[in-house]
Amino acid sequence: MKRSNEFAVGLAVLAALALVIGGALWLSETDVNQKQVTYHARFRTVGGLGVGSPVTLRGVRVGRVEAIRLVEEEWVETEFSIDRAVRLPGRPAVVSASASLFGEWSANIFNYEPLPTDPNLRNALLESDQAGGDAWPGATLPDIGQLTAQASRIAGDVGDITNRIGQAFDSTALKNLQQSVKDLAEISGRLVTFAGAQTTRIDRVSQNVTTTSDAFAGVARTFQNAVARLDTATADNELKDILENSRVSSSDLRAAAADLRSVMAAARDNQAGLVSVVQQADSLMTRIQEGNGTLGMLATDSTLYRETTMTVIQFRELLTDIKANPKKYLKISVF
Amino acid sequence: MRRLGVDSVPIALFIAVFTGAVPMYFVGALVGKTIMMELGPVLTGMALAGRVGASIAAELGTMKVTEQVDALETLAYDRNSYLIVPRVLAATLMFPVVTAFAMSVGVFSGWITAINLLDLSSPDFLKGLKLFYRFKDIWFGLIKSASFGAAVALMGCLRGLDAQAGAAGVGLSTTRAVVLGCEAILVLDAFWALVLL
Repeated sequence: MKRSNEFAVGLAVLAALALVIGGALWLSETDVNQKQVTYHARFRTVGGLGVGSPVTLRGVRVGRVEAIRLVEEEWVETEFSIDRAVRLPGRPAVVSASASLFGEWSANIFNYEPLPTDPNLRNALLESDQAGGDAWPGATLPDIGQLTAQASRIAGDVGDITNRIGQAFDSTALKNLQQSVKDLAEISGRLVTFAGAQTTRIDRVSQNVTTTSDAFAGVARTFQNAVARLDTATADNELKDILENSRVSSSDLRAAAADLRSVMAAARDNQAGLVSVVQQADSLMTRIQEGNGTLGMLATDSTLYRETTMTVIQFRELLTDIKANPKKYLKISVF
Repeated sequence: MRRLGVDSVPIALFIAVFTGAVPMYFVGALVGKTIMMELGPVLTGMALAGRVGASIAAELGTMKVTEQVDALETLAYDRNSYLIVPRVLAATLMFPVVTAFAMSVGVFSGWITAINLLDLSSPDFLKGLKLFYRFKDIWFGLIKSASFGAAVALMGCLRGLDAQAGAAGVGLSTTRAVVLGCEAILVLDAFWALVLL
């Protein structure tokens, strides 16, 4: 092999080695200058966390996962390399969680206190913390797959419920339900008709009730006024005066009653004479009705009535003629 | 080795430029994984199968039809030791070197493509590239490429030494060497995927 060939081959090989080694160190973020510090965290399970996954603090990448290994008592120990310049929380804890929908996971550092409100996360952190040691307590959130599996299970349950509802509401049940709805509609129609028919009566009853109520209100007002007057009268001693007046009036009434009794006694004494007068008057009226006597004849005989009428008519004609032709009947001469 | 390895770098880089540009709709992790584990070794191996395998087959075929191989054997040279083993060793050693260049250029090309065509920022691209990187990605690709080199060189040697008389025989051997080399690359790619992944 020529020397130039050897040089070219050697150069190519060295360059390739440099590329491979340099690229590998760069891509793996190997801490050549010891700028990073190694920490450990303890998990029951790390989920999808893997070597090379990012370690974040308040959303900022501060390191990477260097190793994951199983340890005793069914724990998983994870080794992180974190930038030395990063100021960590006073009591760090780690939550492994899915960082995206594409399967990327990250380890998120936060302060252990206060504990998260999620009960599962809280219990996992407490359990990991109680295990002791220098490792940070760690917990893992369910990944998208678990969530979708849970959602799928819920969807299955909903499907079962739907099927059961479908079985419960078969064709017969549906027909019965339809018939029930029709019956209910018919009952509703009848109720509407009945209500329409009873509206007038109900209105009248309402009016009566209103009138009665008004009457009661008037009575109440009257009674209230009477009570007020009674109160006023009681307050002004008018009641006493009224009672006194009533007593006087009662005495007068008793006196008038006594007078009336005496008048009635006198009338009873003259009853015989009065009966006789009545009988005579009755006899007289009977005779008049029978046409006896002058009055009877005047009352019953029409001939006399007509003649009398004719006489009156003729007398009026005479007077009229006298008024019209006074000289015919009166002849007055002074001289 | 110069001819098999160093002189093959330009064509490998040329192919790597465009293979890096192929997954432009993907980002760092996908570009890194595909270039380092599959596209870099396989496409580089294919390219070198056409170049190196054909070269070896043509050279040895010509030696065979011109009876140079017979002359070597007359001089007590073992043709396998003298003609085959050095070429196979050279290809085995230099294919990973070429593939390493191809990987680097492919990833860089994908990076530039992602930035310019996908409006992807460098931090995002590098984040994806580093996020899913495993050291296995690199040595997996290099081991595969070494096996590809051995297979390509071996196929070229066997087809070349099996060449029949005349120029047509040499051409046919060359074609067969390239075809067999490419087939060997694909078979080995599947083999390593089953064994190492």
